[in-house]
Amino acid sequence: MSLSKIRLPKGMRALVLIISAALVYGFLNAYSNRLLLPSAPFIALRPQVVLPFFLGLVFGPWVGFLTGFLGNMIGDALCGYGCWTFWNWHIANGIYGLLPGLACYFGLKEIRTLRRFVIMETIVVATNLVAIGVAVLADLFWLKTMQFPESLNSWILPALITNIVLSFVLVPLLLVFVKFIVITVETRITLVLSWLIVSIVVISATAVTWTVWNDLTSQAASVQAFYSAGIVTVLVVIIGFLISVFLAHRITDPLANLGQAARQIEQGEYQLPVLDTLDKRSDEFGQLATVMRSMASQIEARETRLKNQVAELKIEIDRTKQDEDVREIVESDYFKALRQKARGFRTTSRIDKEEEIKDATPKDDESSSI
Amino acid sequence: MSKIISIHSFRGGTGKSNTTANLAVSLAQMGLRVCVVDTDIQSPGIHVMFQLNPKDIKFSLNDFLWGKCEIEQTAHEVFTEDSKGRVFLIPSSMRTGDIARVLKFGYDIQLLREGFMNIISKLTIDVLLIDTHPGLNEETLMSIALSDVLLIILRPDAQDYQGTAVTVEVARQIEVPQMYLLMNKVPDLFDKTETIEKAQEAFTCPVIAILPHSDEMMMLASNGIFVRQYPDHPITREIGMVAQKILG
Ligand SMILES: Nc1ncnc2c1ncn2[C@@H]1O[C@H](COP(=O)(O)OP(=O)(O)OP(=O)(O)O)[C@@H](O)[C@H]1O
Ligand SMILES: [Mg+2]
Repeated sequence: MSLSKIRLPKGMRALVLIISAALVYGFLNAYSNRLLLPSAPFIALRPQVVLPFFLGLVFGPWVGFLTGFLGNMIGDALCGYGCWTFWNWHIANGIYGLLPGLACYFGLKEIRTLRRFVIMETIVVATNLVAIGVAVLADLFWLKTMQFPESLNSWILPALITNIVLSFVLVPLLLVFVKFIVITVETRITLVLSWLIVSIVVISATAVTWTVWNDLTSQAASVQAFYSAGIVTVLVVIIGFLISVFLAHRITDPLANLGQAARQIEQGEYQLPVLDTLDKRSDEFGQLATVMRSMASQIEARETRLKNQVAELKIEIDRTKQDEDVREIVESDYFKALRQKARGFRTTSRIDKEEEIKDATPKDDESSSI
Repeated sequence: MSKIISIHSFRGGTGKSNTTANLAVSLAQMGLRVCVVDTDIQSPGIHVMFQLNPKDIKFSLNDFLWGKCEIEQTAHEVFTEDSKGRVFLIPSSMRTGDIARVLKFGYDIQLLREGFMNIISKLTIDVLLIDTHPGLNEETLMSIALSDVLLIILRPDAQDYQGTAVTVEVARQIEVPQMYLLMNKVPDLFDKTETIEKAQEAFTCPVIAILPHSDEMMMLASNGIFVRQYPDHPITREIGMVAQKILG
């Protein structure tokens, strides 16, 4: 089924969807394994963070927000923190579904171009920043459970980094799975490149973390530097993504130009200025553009040749022979008699018609006089 | 007032019968009562397009010309459009004996004219279309002499030009009130306006339409009426325009 045909669920269906998603989210929050990322030793790697994001993007703001909000509440309750103790994190998790939900609401439907892919990944980063920002501000002003600035390094930054990196990998995966991301040349290239970059960065950084972890905990001084490495990880992921977008453009732009050129040929325009820079490239696209250009000029030449043939449509009539043939027919007795009769017919039929009219008029008079 | 229109060409196979049949249906679709007469007694064919089975033909034009029946007994209704539009067909006999007999003895123009006039008044015909035999034999000249409009069909083929020029001149001598050329089977690569101009100049006769050569028409192979099978085809539109122009 095509995703563009999904309508945002309403009423009972939305309720069932939200409750079941919130339960899944809550259970995963309470019992997920403690997987660790570089610089984030105290933050569990929670792949489920992408759930509200994903549901929000696909089913709209309400489903996204309530899944995150209720799910986090259920998780806290299951862990024994109580339903309302860390309400700021309920809101933060709600925002994880709310922002992509709004994007969906305002028309982010199918992703088949680079532009939309970049918008989606920007929403990923923005959602993470806003959600965690809101939670931290709420803590700062009302709850006051954290110590600043220590928490920044030990808690907030690691949470942010973990979630951003995870979302970068998992959100596109889920979206491809449900065909929200449509596989086009543009999206395919971006996906492959960005996954490669993210996975290389994450795997190598994680490997380093695990090998040096014991040394690090004993040398508290370098922990600071280690945290900064987390920021670098995120930056590398984001820069890597931008580079992959740029590379994808290098491949798909020529395709768009070639498509444009083909359309122009279809309409009988053979000059093809869209290929001007393209056919100077030495790669396969350059070759294709060159071939296309020569094809266009061949077609143009053939067309003009055909047009010239039209001009050669000559109607030649031998006038002397025509006159002879006509005279032979026209001067025969049969023809002369026929012409005479035809003249007679034409005048009589004219008279007939006039008589018909004359006949009709008195009849009308009679009927009116009755 | 009703009109008699002859469709003629100097050479065979130009598309007379197809044009006649399509024009007839096109006129009927405009709500007119049309009668088609197949005067191509030597090689009748138009009944095929209307899918009229020779077995169902009780009386033909031949029978009328020999006084065997009244003209209205020869008319077969072959197309109906709503309550008004009709096409009647007066076929020629398919029997070789009948054909030979007409060729031997011919028929009288007075009789043919009476037939036309009677059928027009009996069936309240608006347009009488005459499908003719190619060339300029005596029977064809009769049909032309009886017509209000003559439609001469030609192909863009050097073999058609000379004879067409003669036909135009002969028809002019016989004083047909209205005469048009229709160029059929024109390849798409010919420029339309230029072709029209050249033909009008060469034949000193207005060109009513240029019908392109059409693979669909070839494929239909006279097994039906083109304008019914392809109601949105350019040829169908063109034939509709010919119908309008002929009505004046
Ligand atoms: N515009 C066209 N494009 C392609 N084929 C055509 C076209 N018009 C007619 N034809 C084909 O040409 C052939 C001859 O057509 P048709 O029988 O109407 O000609 P005709 O002038 O009546 O022939 P005849 O002189 O034998 O009576 C048919 O096979 C018909 O399908
Ligand atoms: Mg014919």
